[in-house]
Amino acid sequence: MEIIEKIKTNKSIDNLTEIQKICLDKLQASPLPNPKSEQWRLSNKSKFSNFLNYSVNEKKSKFDTPFPNTSQSTIRLVIGDNCQINFIEENYSIKQLSEDKLVKYIKEQISCFDKNENWSDLLNLSLNCTKNILGLKINGSEIPPIEIFSHASINSLNAKTLVIFLEKNCNIDLLQVNLGKDNSSLSQSTFVCLEENSSVNHGVVSYGENKSNLLNSLNVIQQNNSEYNLGSLHFKFNYARFEIRIKQSKGNAKTNIKGMQITKKDEQISTFTKIDFHGPNGFLDQINKSLADDKSHAIFEGSIIVPKIAQKTDASQLSRNLLLSNLAQIDTKPQLEIIADDVKCKHGATISQLNEEELFYMRTRGITLTEASKLQLSSYFQEIISFIPVSKDRWDLLDKLLNEN
Amino acid sequence: MQSKMKESDPILEVENLSASTDNLPILKGVSLTVYPGEIHAIMGRNGCGKSTLSKIIAGHPSYNITNGDIKFLGENINSLEPEERAQLGIFLGFQYPIEIPGVSNLEFLRVSTNARRKFLNKEELDTFDFEELVKEKLEIVKMDHAFLSRSVNQGFSGGEKKRNEILQMALLEPKIAILDETDSGLDIDALRIVASGIKKISNAQTGIILITHYQRLLDEIKPNYVHVMSDGQIIKTGESDLALELEKKGYEWTDNFIKET
Repeated sequence: MEIIEKIKTNKSIDNLTEIQKICLDKLQASPLPNPKSEQWRLSNKSKFSNFLNYSVNEKKSKFDTPFPNTSQSTIRLVIGDNCQINFIEENYSIKQLSEDKLVKYIKEQISCFDKNENWSDLLNLSLNCTKNILGLKINGSEIPPIEIFSHASINSLNAKTLVIFLEKNCNIDLLQVNLGKDNSSLSQSTFVCLEENSSVNHGVVSYGENKSNLLNSLNVIQQNNSEYNLGSLHFKFNYARFEIRIKQSKGNAKTNIKGMQITKKDEQISTFTKIDFHGPNGFLDQINKSLADDKSHAIFEGSIIVPKIAQKTDASQLSRNLLLSNLAQIDTKPQLEIIADDVKCKHGATISQLNEEELFYMRTRGITLTEASKLQLSSYFQEIISFIPVSKDRWDLLDKLLNEN
Repeated sequence: MQSKMKESDPILEVENLSASTDNLPILKGVSLTVYPGEIHAIMGRNGCGKSTLSKIIAGHPSYNITNGDIKFLGENINSLEPEERAQLGIFLGFQYPIEIPGVSNLEFLRVSTNARRKFLNKEELDTFDFEELVKEKLEIVKMDHAFLSRSVNQGFSGGEKKRNEILQMALLEPKIAILDETDSGLDIDALRIVASGIKKISNAQTGIILITHYQRLLDEIKPNYVHVMSDGQIIKTGESDLALELEKKGYEWTDNFIKET
């Protein structure tokens, strides 16, 4: 109940919005996620309470982007910046969603929420007043890459929400960057809706600083013939959860996911995915990689749901994990729920350590153990990083990872 | 047997070396000295300790030296890390070169070459300068430039892997190269290319140890000395005709030799 009181008594929120009220009502019934539920049972309780410990902060704080915007064509937005977005060009338009439409859409989403599965979204929408919700409607062609930043402030709990509607026949490269600060918690909820024949190359890069926490929830709805490609990377969080829910609402859609989480010290980072096929001829290719060092804990739980209506589904889910220390822990559970009888579905998981013979081979060529490990790790990271839509000359993520890990 | 009076100091001295892994003794007192310009062949049955000896000289962390010394240019290197030995100029050509998916061959070769150059106080090469150097060395092993853009040894045929080893040897310019069954898995043409590559790279200042089962490599590269290993020891050393004798007699006599001694 503490979190509900915290939201209600937050001085920076004058009047609760309609959405906040609805979500608070739902949270009253379920003030905390059920620790015994599948989605939350491995979550570190003390770290999770630490997430909720910070006071809610709606104030705007100074923000430095992690890499310069050297490309004039890239559109860069910061959630909470309050500027009116309205790009109308010959070939495309990017407009801000009206408040009515935004509220209507979010209410529809909330009506389908499960109290455990969507607890992170409920919290996000309870905390969030309208200024930290960014809604975009995008259409047209030859759309420049879009970068959207969310960030937390030091010693506070911040909530940011992003809603994106991609209209028919529209293709975009979207990079979402979530940044944690010292002793902070960031709640990020994202809703992406892809209409027919649209496609998104979506990169989600989240990284924190000392003692930062993250609840990152991503909800995607794909219509016919849409293609959703997600490349994600989460690292340097005391506690982070990345929840991905994708629904191919009418089938005939393609989803590709390449995700990675890196944990060190006593960090815990988890990824939960639920891919729901609601029509025939759906396609999924998913790989999730975890790398756990020191005393850290990495978790992956993935489920693929193929009901009777989803005949001819072709889905693959693979969890690959690298354990770098005897004290680190990895939990992985890829799962399939198949009712349809004419499908091609596979899943698998591997846990291994750095290959010692590879290391020895490199060392016999004069490469130090540290460099050899870095080379091995870079090959491990590369598959995921190359899937994230951000140009190398502007932000070398691989260098950042190798230098920080 | 190594009676020729040497004009220079030895490159490598293995003195009464014993080693084990998981408390299992593998080497039981091996001694071997290699001078500049010499080619030594080590022959013996599978499991006699030939490959283990090469790995121990290269510094494999899974083996413990229980007795004896390995000296390189007069300095004891027993406690050096594999990369330190490589930087000094010890090269091990692997019997089964390791595949490293995701690491480009070009980058791997460049990082390795620069590690050795740094030790030799030579200027490190950037990608462009390195490409020039590697182009020249590719000629030695008749390798196509396309091999450089692939992952290290991944998808290479047996012959391509071995040629890639010799390419690395050419780039690293070692003082001593230990080539572990470089001839295995090679057809006649590939064997000639590899053998010719080894001959081009070796010179009066370098030493070579060839570990092999067969005479055919030694037909291409004539060794100064042939050593026969059995049960973790060198039981006989001779000149190149010893290899021909082994080819005729096989290794059965080594069992009797061990029993008798």
